[in-house]
Amino acid sequence: MERRTFLTGTAAAALVSQMPITIARAQDKVIKFAMPQDFTKVYTFVTAEYSQGQRDYISLINARGGINGYTIEADVSDHGNDLPRAIEAYERAKTEGAVLIDPLSTPVARALVPRVLEDEINMVTAFSGRSDAADGTAFPYVMPLSPNYWTQAGLLIDYFRQKDGDLNGKKICFVHIDTPFGKEPLPILEKLAEQQGFELVTFPYTPPGNDQSAIWPQVRRARPDWVMFWGAGVGQTTALTEAVRNGMDMSRMSSSVWISESDMEVAGAQDVTGVLKVEPCASGRDPKPIQDILAEVVEPGNGAGPEEKVGTSYYNYGVMITAIIIEGVRKAIEKAPDGPVTGPWLNDGLHSIRDFDADGMIPPVTITPEDHQGGGMARIAHWDGEKFVADTDFFTANQDVVWEEIRKYSEEFKKTGE
Amino acid sequence: MDMLLLAELSINGVFVGLMYALVAAGIVLIYKTSGIANLAQGALAMMGGYAAWAFTAMVGLPIWLAIPIALAVMFLAGVALERFALRRMVGQPIIMVIMLTLGLEIMLRGVLPGLFGSAVKRLDVGIPNTPLFLGDLFLNRATLIGGSVSFVLILLAIAFFNSRLGIIMRAVSDDQSASWSVGIRVERAIAIAWGLSAMMATTAGVLWGATQGVDWSLSLLLIKALAIAILGGLDSLPGVLIAGIIVGLAESLATGILDPIVGGGTRDVVASVIIVLTLLLRPHGLFGREHIERV
Repeated sequence: MERRTFLTGTAAAALVSQMPITIARAQDKVIKFAMPQDFTKVYTFVTAEYSQGQRDYISLINARGGINGYTIEADVSDHGNDLPRAIEAYERAKTEGAVLIDPLSTPVARALVPRVLEDEINMVTAFSGRSDAADGTAFPYVMPLSPNYWTQAGLLIDYFRQKDGDLNGKKICFVHIDTPFGKEPLPILEKLAEQQGFELVTFPYTPPGNDQSAIWPQVRRARPDWVMFWGAGVGQTTALTEAVRNGMDMSRMSSSVWISESDMEVAGAQDVTGVLKVEPCASGRDPKPIQDILAEVVEPGNGAGPEEKVGTSYYNYGVMITAIIIEGVRKAIEKAPDGPVTGPWLNDGLHSIRDFDADGMIPPVTITPEDHQGGGMARIAHWDGEKFVADTDFFTANQDVVWEEIRKYSEEFKKTGE
Repeated sequence: MDMLLLAELSINGVFVGLMYALVAAGIVLIYKTSGIANLAQGALAMMGGYAAWAFTAMVGLPIWLAIPIALAVMFLAGVALERFALRRMVGQPIIMVIMLTLGLEIMLRGVLPGLFGSAVKRLDVGIPNTPLFLGDLFLNRATLIGGSVSFVLILLAIAFFNSRLGIIMRAVSDDQSASWSVGIRVERAIAIAWGLSAMMATTAGVLWGATQGVDWSLSLLLIKALAIAILGGLDSLPGVLIAGIIVGLAESLATGILDPIVGGGTRDVVASVIIVLTLLLRPHGLFGREHIERV
């Protein structure tokens, strides 16, 4: 065979061999999500369970045939809370056609904001990222889809008011990790203290918060009516343990969404009975989506992680956020069944979510081009020694103060890009 | 300021400082024997905490059995570390050996949470969490017990260095060639020092694990331990005791007095300020031997 004939034949064979693949890809109806998250550094306390919930919910949807023939492909990787790695993962996801990214990290989300706004790729910043991203007019492609920290602080203050009738003259201690995340609720708390007449006393501790032994004697001596402790991971377990050792009234101790069953076990499940938390969705295995996952994903052996983690707080957060995203996909397909599947296509779908409650697992969520928080509803639950039990229905509170703050910062972003 | 609060912070600070000092004592132990500053001591404390937790939570042993087994395993781990990692570095510049220990610290900090899961683990050693009051004075039971155990162990370490084996180790530290020439098995002495240091780290890991839970953050004890070892003198065990108390007191009082003025965050600054000031003003620490080289 002549060399030229051989080369031509080889080139033709190579071309032909690619054709069916190209055709198959065109026929595949796949929606790609990128989920580079921090499995190894700062957010390790939540990521494994959150990601497990996300992957199990996606498996449930795919096992049911997807959405209108579309299956969901989740690319899970570890960015280790490292900005260069996260940006690399984002760029890879963009190249591969991902229409959504969920980095579950405040610094990573902050770093990616300019990119997602420019590339029109939806970025989920549930329970993380910047609180002013709730303003969809300033951050059209940044999707908190959950009550931000300002809302969570506002909800707790309102719960205290409901319990005490009036907060005038009361003392509220805010024990927090000394980082931007820990300081985030301060503007709201200061404003509410001014409005409602309570005294706010703050106690910052150095990160990660594994030694708070000098903090809690001061908190005890301040004789607070209520305590909010605001940290994550070991900072939360240490806060709880030191509070118990100082004889604090556990039914007057409260925290954000970042406290879980495993934290209570570490601090001593019985010792911390009564501790309050903000619950953005129902915990446990009773909610229907969790039951469905157990029956259709876990029992057939397709679960993404340990079965005992199914139904824990952070697992359910993962299910909650993914359920909202999938609802956005449904809406997008309703509005434009033939796509094309792009960031703006999904963005339009997410903006069309109305009163979605995931079969009662979450509060009714409505996402609009203006409100990316979804209404800012959550409930307050207390630890009964074994599990978190809801004390209230899903509600929202102090949103006037919260939105004033959101707009203050989002206007600044619109002007300066920072 | 409320005098009672000041007293609470001071007492608490002293005992917390003693708990830090136990980690520092491990650093001193190795330095006294081999002249190496072991930057993996924090990670060894974390590893010891994980080991005790694994034997009780995963294997199902009672805690009174899990702790001695963890100590034994960690002794062997320390010896193995010296045998298979450190000994291979003989003849290399000292900075390379220190970098190796730093590499070990980073590696263990990544590998162990990956292996055992990254969530904080409960390590119940039977210290009740109920508050302890002497009149109006609050005492933290966990730090009280932890500090007391650390104090006793450091005293034992001081006594050990006056025993036959301890004197051998001091001889090795002073001059390895001379030790060889009089028949001392230098490698064995150094390996034992690493084993004992790993046991000290494990005790610290267990005590701190019982206080805060077991997770990667136990490795952060290294910073406090370094501050104490440098202030006390890298080759002085009694120095570690005094420096531990100073660092613990300073941190606790800074949190109570300075934090409200500057808005927080002074606790960790204390350790770094102590390291910098000691190195600038008294490089050999409060009780360390000043090395004079004749040229």
